[in-house]
Order: sequence, then C-alpha cells, then structure tokens
Amino acid sequence: MSGEVILQARDLVKHYPIRTGVIQRVTGHVRAVDGVSFDLHAGETLGVVGESGCGKSTLGRLLMRLEEPTSGSVVFDGVEMYRQRGAAMRRLRRDIQIVFQDPYTSLNPRKTVGDIVGEPFEIHRDAAPKGSRRQKVQELLDLVGLNPEHINRYPHQFSGGQRQRIGVARGIALNPKVLICDEPVSALDVSVQAQVVNLLEKLQNELGLAYIFIAHDLAVVRHISDRVAVMYLGRIVEMGDEEEIYDRPTHPYTQALLSAVPVPDPTLKGTREQIVLTGDVPSPANPPSGCHFHTRCWRVRDEPDQQVCAEKVPTLEEHGDGVGTHVCACHFAQLRPQVVASA
Amino acid sequence: MTTHSVTLTAKDRKTAEFEHLLDVRDLQVEFRMRSGVAKAINGVSFHLDDRETLAILGESGSGKSVTAQAIMGILDTPPGYVTGGQVLFQGADMLAMPTKQRARMRGPKISMIFQDALSALNPVFPVGWQIAEMFRIHRKMNKSDSMQQAIRLMERVHIPGAKERYKAYPHQFSGGMRQRIMIAMAIALDPWILIADEPTTALDVTVQAQIMDLLKELQDEFGMGLILITHDLGVVANVADRIAVMYAGRLMEVAPVEPLYAQPRHPYTIGLLESVPRLDSKLGETLPAIGGLPPNLLAMPDGCPFNPRCRFATDQCRHGAPPTLVDLANNEIGRQAACWRVDDADVTTEGRLAAGGGQE
Repeated sequence: MSGEVILQARDLVKHYPIRTGVIQRVTGHVRAVDGVSFDLHAGETLGVVGESGCGKSTLGRLLMRLEEPTSGSVVFDGVEMYRQRGAAMRRLRRDIQIVFQDPYTSLNPRKTVGDIVGEPFEIHRDAAPKGSRRQKVQELLDLVGLNPEHINRYPHQFSGGQRQRIGVARGIALNPKVLICDEPVSALDVSVQAQVVNLLEKLQNELGLAYIFIAHDLAVVRHISDRVAVMYLGRIVEMGDEEEIYDRPTHPYTQALLSAVPVPDPTLKGTREQIVLTGDVPSPANPPSGCHFHTRCWRVRDEPDQQVCAEKVPTLEEHGDGVGTHVCACHFAQLRPQVVASA
Repeated sequence: MTTHSVTLTAKDRKTAEFEHLLDVRDLQVEFRMRSGVAKAINGVSFHLDDRETLAILGESGSGKSVTAQAIMGILDTPPGYVTGGQVLFQGADMLAMPTKQRARMRGPKISMIFQDALSALNPVFPVGWQIAEMFRIHRKMNKSDSMQQAIRLMERVHIPGAKERYKAYPHQFSGGMRQRIMIAMAIALDPWILIADEPTTALDVTVQAQIMDLLKELQDEFGMGLILITHDLGVVANVADRIAVMYAGRLMEVAPVEPLYAQPRHPYTIGLLESVPRLDSKLGETLPAIGGLPPNLLAMPDGCPFNPRCRFATDQCRHGAPPTLVDLANNEIGRQAACWRVDDADVTTEGRLAAGGGQE
C-alpha cells in the first residue's frame, strides 16, 4: 500500500526562545520539537499521537513551513524544503496542505464558502483558470459531501462537521500529495466524527493522498493510520506500523497511554490493568535529563536502580530479540502482555 | 477525616426516608431568543440514588449541560427558562424554593464541577482563597480556619505541595491540577450530590485517568451521588452505574451500564456505539456513521426527534407525538427507551450486532 518515500524529515528541531525582563534577554528555550526524524511514503497515513505539549502540532507546522526550524531538514520529493525561496517554495506548498483542528476559528467568518475553498486558486492562479474556478469549487464541495449550491453561504451557517468538510475541501483544492491533519476530528461529536473520518479515508483512496494525522485520540488514530509515531516532549519515543504500536508496544509510555484509554465496554471494567501515570507532562522548557520520560515512568518507579534512564538519552532503534521490529527509544524496551483491551 | 465519617452515617439514615436522593420529573427548559423559542429540554425524568453514578450521555446541543444547570439553578435567565417539571431533592422541590433557600443548598447539598477549569476559576484570586471561600461563606469560618480547611482539601485531592501552592493563581497550574482545585471546591462542604459536567474532556488521557480515579475515590469516601455528564462512551463504560442517553432535549434510553453496552435498544444508542472507533479496530474498515446532523432546536422535526437520521424510521416515527420513555417489557430491570420500534426484531438484532463489535 505504501509507495516510495515522499517526505523525509531528519533531526527536526524547533526551539522557541523564552525572553524575560525589559531588554527581552533570552533566558531559555522551549524545546517544542527536539530531534524528530521519519519517512512518509506516498499514499500512506502516518498517525502522530501524544499528550498536549508534546510538540505534535509544532511538528505539523514545521512540515507546512509555517515555522522555520531551528535545525534539521525536510526533503520533499527530492527537494530540501527549508532552502527553497519564492516561486520554488510556492510550488512546493501546493503539494503539502493542512487541515486545522478547530473548524470554528480556522475559517474566515466574513468570507463565503466559495471564497474560502477558492482561495488556493487565487494564490496558485495556474491551478484553475479564472472562468472555471467556481465550477471547480463546486466540484470540491460535492467531493467532500457538501451541497454545491451552498457555495455562497458563510461558515456560521454550517454545523461543526460541515465546517470541517469545508476545511478539508480547501486542503485538497490544489491536489496536494500530502495533507497534514492537525486534530481534524477532536472538536466534533462522535456521530459526526465518524463521518469526517470516513470522508478522509474515501479521499485517500480516490486521490492517493498521504496523510500526517495528528491527534490525541488513540482509537481514531488506529482506525485511520498505517503507521503510528508516539511523541513525548518533543521526541518520537516509538514508531511502527499500526499493529506493532497497538498490539505489541514496547515503550513504557506507549503502554501507559494505551492502558489509560477508556474502552467503551463495561464488561472489561476491572479486567484491564491500567497504568496510571502520576503527575503531568514536564515543561518542555526544562525537560528531564536522559530519557524525558523517566520522571513519570512506571518501570523506573518499580525498579529504581535504573540509573541509566536519568543519564543517557535513549536512541530510537530496533531492539530485536522478539521485542519487535519497530523502533523504540527506551533503554529497557520490553513487551508487556495484555496492554490492549481486546487481547 | 473523622468529620466525614460522622456525616456519612447521618446521610445513610436520612436517605431511607425518600424513594430517591434526587428525582427529576418531567423537566422542561426553553430558551427564548429573538429568532424563536428553542425547547432545549422536553420532559426529562430521571432519578439518582445515594452513592450511585448516573451518566448523562449526549452530543453537543442535546441538552445535557442545560439539564445540569437547571438542576443546580444556575441557568442563564434570560434567555433560559424552566417552564415545567420538578426537581426533588430528598422530596423537596428545588424549583419551588425561594432563591435564597436554593442558594444555601448549592455547596452542602449539591455542587458541580465544570469542563473548563481555567474559565471557571477566578484568575485574580489565589486558588486557596477561592477554595476557602466556601468555608467562609457557608460555614462562617474565619480566615485562618478556612485556610487550614482549604489546604486539607488540596491535600485530599492530591495536589503536591498544597501549603506552598495555596497562594498560587489558577494560571500557574496545569489543566489536571486546575481540575483538582475545582473538585476540591465542589466537595468542600461534603455535598450529597456532585454534578460533573465533562470533567475530563479538556484533559489528556493519562491525566483523565487520574481525575476519574480521584472522583471515584472521593465518591466512595464521601458517599456522594454522582451525575457525570459526558459525550465519551469510553469514560462512561468504566465509571457509571446507569446511563441516560439524551438527544435533542429528550431522554432516548435509560439503562444500567452493562446491559446498555451489551445490547443497546434505542436506534440512536445503537448508532452511537457503532460510530466509536475502537482501539482494536482494524485499518480500512469504514466506521458506521450516523448520517445527517442533530436537529435544530428551533425547527424540530415532526414525530420522533431522531427520525430523520434513523434507519428504522417508519411513518409512525415521522408524524404525531414523539414516543415517550417507557419501561421495557420482559423483565429488563431498570431499562427504559423512547422508541416506537424498540421491540421490533430488526432493531433488537442490530442492537446485538452493534454491541458485538466491541467484544471480539
């Protein structure tokens, strides 16, 4: 199902300076993204999960080049993205588009749906000749399941799910190769969420899009993703295909995250062992030494002599020995039976 | 904690005199707006017993939060008006009480926590001060006593370094910690009923698990009745004893949690359960979504409010009065549903199938 590598991120880093005092001296950095590397294949979906503040949205913005990275590179279709300027960058942008989380604030309330969905054609004038734009917009509306006759309506006249469809229509207007979906369904109700997820899957099949699907809802991510990357404090801690991550996770954070997901089945109450992590995610301005996760890690808690966790940063690597073929950044990567509810 | 164990036994004795701790009967709420009158709640009836957890499940606009606000007496009036029904707390109708008497009940009898702790807390006062306010106003305590109590509560809800953080402001806390502060305020006066309106929706899963554990722990200790308002079918399955499913201002189905998930009886509940992506779902399956959108409260469809989205709808569903919530036949204890076709074979079969998806 996955074709050639279309997007290649290497050691992406984004640090935001913290400025204090009258002269705005830089006193530290928020390490939002701290060395992220991955490959995205044509036509596949890479899910990115993690708690709030783990840097998953910043990663999405970096891939869109809405932010300039502190260091690192993204090669898209053989071209180094962050070195492109002007017309070359604009051409690149046609191939990478984004759908934002909040359909209430990401659409301009004073523009009609036609203007919003047609705006990409305003910038990329060669994508659709002026005369055919309206028709093109109507085709897009039809494609995402909206009534093409509603082209002159304003965003407030639509419900949340319909607005998200407008966002998707704008995202696919230029026929991109990669669509970054930043929490596209988390603001929607369950019944409507399913509609939008189905729409995204349908579009992927029809248009051959590759998705980077950023979300905190693990069940939704599993449903749509071929491969999944789990992020914690700016780093990918585990990455593998959907079955490896959900059925055979080896990182203690992934295991805790999965065990914390409430499962809609009361008969499993009490039968599932829940790993409840203590405390909150540490501040990315001052992340813990060594493995970022060691302060909350339940395995460090159980076996406190694991000094290395606080000292050495674990690398993202395969562990072999039946532990799994996918990559995991933990010194003590290990399978744990009974992590997923169904098992 | 001695004070609490004393009140606990007192609680047990008192509830015996009433059928239910809280009994909501035929509650009606409408919003009068320039564009028309929206019937946000149309005859909702349910009850809550001591130490019980009732979940009110619904999508946005279903009226679940409005129900809570009407029970608490904190509905924004105008535009919201309670136009009928009774809210019986230990047999006394709260809706008929004078405003002052009702205000005195908020805190010691019934209290509430909200979804968004940041906007529910006052940003310009230290959190400890805000918790202590409950004791100053309701128990007429002085400053130092109320402070002691507030610190004790902050420790109770597991806020690390409670003494030092008494003077911190809401923005200095993380989302999970802010939610703990709200919980501390809500349980300060040892209420009989705690209403939690989407308490974990804004939180990450790992923190969500912590907060739900805390609520459970406090419920066991204080012996509260808990009304959990949520849209998350997963959270509900783990904590609720009974579930009331709301749609467009009406209760669609009320049932104990296990039978409801084992076999949902109302087509809306069936649709909801089907449309949740599962952790064990396989890639490439299409999610069975409920088509269409929830109805506009200003222009409700004729007949059953769910009929335009219901795959089982017949002419009976499309016209006339909507079905009322009735007890289900054949000794299904405590189960109610509002559907004309609830006993039809195709609805019951689909219900079993919907539940099967989660049990492989």
